[in-house]
Amino acid sequence: MAGYYDIDDILAEEELVPSVFQHDANGVGLFDSSDDTDKVIAGSRAELPFWLVRELYLRQLISIRVPPCFDRDSKTREEIGADAAHVDLKSRCAYFYTLGCKIAPLIGDKTIGPFLLVAFRTRYREVLIKAHTLSLSVAPKYLILLTNEEAKLYEAGQSSIVAFKKWRMGGPRFQMAPVLGRKRKPT
Amino acid sequence: MSSASEPHASAFSAAELEFLAEDELIEIVPNLRMDPLNFISGDFGPFRPQIATQVPLWLAVALKKRGKCTIRAPEWMSIDKLSQVLESERDSEKFQPLPFHYVEISRLLFDHAREDIPDIYMVRSLVEDIKDVRFHKIGTGLEIISKERTYALRLKNLSAMEANIVRPFVTRALETLYKLGSSEMIQESDTNRQPPQAMNRGPRTTSRKDGDLILGNIFDINSSSELLLMLRKIIDKDVRN
Repeated sequence: MAGYYDIDDILAEEELVPSVFQHDANGVGLFDSSDDTDKVIAGSRAELPFWLVRELYLRQLISIRVPPCFDRDSKTREEIGADAAHVDLKSRCAYFYTLGCKIAPLIGDKTIGPFLLVAFRTRYREVLIKAHTLSLSVAPKYLILLTNEEAKLYEAGQSSIVAFKKWRMGGPRFQMAPVLGRKRKPT
Repeated sequence: MSSASEPHASAFSAAELEFLAEDELIEIVPNLRMDPLNFISGDFGPFRPQIATQVPLWLAVALKKRGKCTIRAPEWMSIDKLSQVLESERDSEKFQPLPFHYVEISRLLFDHAREDIPDIYMVRSLVEDIKDVRFHKIGTGLEIISKERTYALRLKNLSAMEANIVRPFVTRALETLYKLGSSEMIQESDTNRQPPQAMNRGPRTTSRKDGDLILGNIFDINSSSELLLMLRKIIDKDVRN
């Protein structure tokens, strides 16, 4: 388990994956709220978080349908092929790459790997340019297109530039210890 | 991406780099008489009026602030040298050799020893220009990372400050590229088609016929102060077909 304590890894596994139950299941009515019987019948569809999907799938209790953003003939693939840099990936899957890496071996779709690589490679350039040139006020518009992984990257680039600029400007370099800031009581 | 290494742990702050840069030696002409100073880093002095001597930058600045010396601008900080560097910096792809801490040193000197540097305005704008040209080059250089499968990056003559600025971004980007391009993600897609080729992917291939550098994995970058070095590219054009 790489990154057991890694919050991003945990959040990535929260992403919902569409799946189909292969067996009836009692006591899990919350997955399928359409009836009151507190059970899910075989063949019904539900969106489950990835961490659950993985376990259930390995026990062959459910089957996975490829999430729309990775699907072979989905719109996302076409859009990535056309102009990867301006696709709004965040709204489709906030942890696009992490989830992609995790789900690919599970469903054995061999085209997902190269697809992710192409997507990242094209978008990387855009992130790089924006991180180094964009002023802070314009950034938010662009940021909403980025998945969380890309946003991290963007921030890493941006913050180091900002820190450097700040250093160049000079200004007060000494910080006063909070204790010293207090006014002494006139005695 | 879950990162194995703390992304920011390796980065210095600009002020820390400035601190490191203060250990560089510089020549001063004292106007006081003082015995040699014995520091852990070495003995400096003796100080005799009008006799030049080498001291660390921090000492030079401290003496300067008290009006006890004049600082001699380092050799590279002259109009001739700098315009030459700027020229070749613009002409060639490569980075010109400059002191490792040139950004920090020049800033310290401009701040504290303004009147000791001949033609300060010219020198200052030259240094600025050089810095801008180099930063721009770094930016364009990083774009090529994305063209092929890149696992490491070699930037020769990069200065401390420049390396420090790109480090958080580059290490993360390479980590992600590495992860996405790693054999388990990619190889599967074409093992059945051309198994012999598959031997050639992976982060640690040895000996290619053109004998280029082999690097370890991308995490080396964090540790190398001599600069980011290494990464290697495995070129295989047909991965995607």
